[in-house]
Amino acid sequence: MRLRSHLLLLSIATAAPVMILAAVVALLVVRQDRDNVRNAAGDRVIAVMSAIDAELRGSLATLRALAASSHLETGNLAAFHAEARRVVRAHPDWLDFTLAALDGRRIMSTTQAPGRDGSNVVNRESFDEAVATGRPVIGSLAQELDRGDWAIPLRMPVIQDGRVKYVLTAVLRPDAFVDLLRAQRLPDGWVVGITDGNGRLIARLPPLAPGSEAVAGWREAVKRSPQGLYRGVTLEGQAAYTPYVTSTLSGWVLGIAMPAAAVDAAAWRSLWLVILMMVLAAGIAVGLAVLIGRRIAAPIAGLAEAADAAGRGEPVVFPARTPIAEIDSLAAALERAALAMREKQELAEREKRALQAADRAKDEFLAMLSHELRNPLAALTAAAHVLKLAPPTEPAAIKARAVVERQTKHMARLVGDLLDISRVAMGKVALQRERFNLREGVGNLLNVWRASGRLERHKVVMDLKPAWVDADRARIEQVVSNLLDNAVKFTPAGKTISVALGLEDEWAVLRVSDQGEGLEPESAERMFDLFVQGERGLDRAAGGLGVGLALVKRLTEMHGGSVSAASGGHGRGATFTVKLPAVAPPAPARPEPEGDARVVPRRVLIVEDNDDARAMLHEVLAFSGHDVREARDGATGLALAAQARPDIALIDIGLPDLDGYEVARRLRAAPGGRGIGLIAITGYGQAEDQRRAYDAGFDAHLTKPVAPERLRQVIAGLQ
Amino acid sequence: MTKRVLVVDDDADMRLTLKLALEIAGYDVDMASNGREALEAQRRRAADVLVTDIFMPDADGFEAIDAFRREFPATKIVVVSGGAQFTKRDYLPDAELMGVDATLQKPFDVDTLLALLRTL
Repeated sequence: MRLRSHLLLLSIATAAPVMILAAVVALLVVRQDRDNVRNAAGDRVIAVMSAIDAELRGSLATLRALAASSHLETGNLAAFHAEARRVVRAHPDWLDFTLAALDGRRIMSTTQAPGRDGSNVVNRESFDEAVATGRPVIGSLAQELDRGDWAIPLRMPVIQDGRVKYVLTAVLRPDAFVDLLRAQRLPDGWVVGITDGNGRLIARLPPLAPGSEAVAGWREAVKRSPQGLYRGVTLEGQAAYTPYVTSTLSGWVLGIAMPAAAVDAAAWRSLWLVILMMVLAAGIAVGLAVLIGRRIAAPIAGLAEAADAAGRGEPVVFPARTPIAEIDSLAAALERAALAMREKQELAEREKRALQAADRAKDEFLAMLSHELRNPLAALTAAAHVLKLAPPTEPAAIKARAVVERQTKHMARLVGDLLDISRVAMGKVALQRERFNLREGVGNLLNVWRASGRLERHKVVMDLKPAWVDADRARIEQVVSNLLDNAVKFTPAGKTISVALGLEDEWAVLRVSDQGEGLEPESAERMFDLFVQGERGLDRAAGGLGVGLALVKRLTEMHGGSVSAASGGHGRGATFTVKLPAVAPPAPARPEPEGDARVVPRRVLIVEDNDDARAMLHEVLAFSGHDVREARDGATGLALAAQARPDIALIDIGLPDLDGYEVARRLRAAPGGRGIGLIAITGYGQAEDQRRAYDAGFDAHLTKPVAPERLRQVIAGLQ
Repeated sequence: MTKRVLVVDDDADMRLTLKLALEIAGYDVDMASNGREALEAQRRRAADVLVTDIFMPDADGFEAIDAFRREFPATKIVVVSGGAQFTKRDYLPDAELMGVDATLQKPFDVDTLLALLRTL
């Protein structure tokens, strides 16, 4: 069922009791109306009857006055006759006035000459009653003797000496009462009538011959109750309501018949009016229900449409404001749902694109890896071929050996990078945190880079302020190295690389800026994804596997920091920003070591095949005042140790001939080898590596790249 | 008869070892580090065979092949490449489509290259 129909039902349900009540009230009002009309008529009946009684009483008073006449007492009938005629003349409604003896013989009549009458009275009943009771009597309608006209006798006994001697009779004309009725000016169609105690009509309007009998129904009603309402037809056959009253004076009955049609018509008019109003009200209610229903239903239908559209993923406009607050909030809720759905879709879309991009990056990486590994292998294969054919001392063989050395190192670095990133990515790297000044770490690293000549093609600008962090020194240096590596790769020779360090809020912030190719804004974010490389076309000058920045990101995040890249666009250089949580510097109670004054000079042997690393270690140790010797491989190192008897030996684990563990074992086994301080230098600081180092007899273990400060600490610890 | 070979590779060690190996085998070898240099070297002193890498800065191997095909149609061309099996461009098949005389994937046995050079 539609909402509109529900509303219609609701309005009808609300209106129905009200309408029923209204109908009841209307019926009551109709009934009240009718009663009012009847009561008004009833009052009128009583008033008219009072007028008739007054008329009769007037006649009775006149009769009483005549009865007391002195002529009658003295028996002077002639004089009484004359007096009576005067009185009759003053009463036009009197037809006759008679004096009768107790036996009913008329002695005198004003219609006859004196002494001429001798007839008997008519309507003997009332005459006898007056004689018997000695009280005046109003007789019933009777036909007069002489002319046969209907008339009404009023009897008045004349009492002399305590006895009834005569009876006076005034004969009243019924017409007199017709006049009285006419004076009431009743509406057309109404009937008014007076009947005597026998139910004969004395007077009536519309006129009817006196003496006619009133309708039987009415006479019976009168018999049952002297006063009331008679419902029935008139003599004309018209249905009527007839209130009536019986006079206590005369026993006459007066009724006023109102045509039922007229009375009921008014009531029916009221009823019809009420029904019409109800129909009108119902119509208005239905109309309003439909209108309001439409106002409610239309926004809902609009919402449904919008929701459907949202479901299909089409752009949706939700109705901004409707007349209904609940629908507004529903619209808002739907809008939110649609928005959430769209966001979810967009998110899914973004994730899909990211996955595709990652997949593409992985493919590119594998292709790159293939290329990067095949190239050095090709050079190595060709070199092997040359070495196979050329005598070892030939320049060709010497060159080929150099190629082998360079290319294997290059490959080793590639493999190292790969292993590093996979270990970091798999979370296998445990941070060895310590509190240190990042300025020192970065400064030392830059010095090492400078010393190795890796920065000689560029101008390097430094702005380093103190910034303490709680971090893994080796890993942080790896981060900085990779950023420097990146800057060096992408910055043309002669251009500037800037390194800045400082505190910003809670962060130690390191910025490495280059004047290289710059980044496209959209690739700045992806820069740190694994395997992603800058747009390079077929240019291999940049080289590498594209894992350096990914490593930077992972390591930085492991420290609770972040890294970001920004660029003014292509050709405008790039700035990489690393943020690490800053910590408070240690209490100033511990002063910085005053130079190297306290350092006891030792004999130190460095066994390291990497020229750069060896040069750096040499520089650091010599600067501290130590006596430094160096060897490029294990055999040379052992020979040098036997000769120079060093206090301390720094031994690289990955040597070309013997490995570092073997060198350590032989040094320990050599005469005086028990007191020598042995420090292992390895690419990786895993627990397993450390354990192997200690098993081989090392006293300490340092992870590359070796921080000068750490080296000083370890050497100091060995004293 | 001494054949003249032009080796083109952006990797200096690769160039060098190939030159050494080919010289031991009796070839006269010139070197270039990209396509543009290769064309210049060829114009100075024409080689019989061009042994070129594809993936190089400035002017890559495809450009070199293109230019040689137009300017020096008699020069034989051997393409050596690490390939890029997963990228859209598969260098060696692309080079073959361009009608080079032979392709070799890195790393390759120098004897294979020498045998190839003898047949050209």
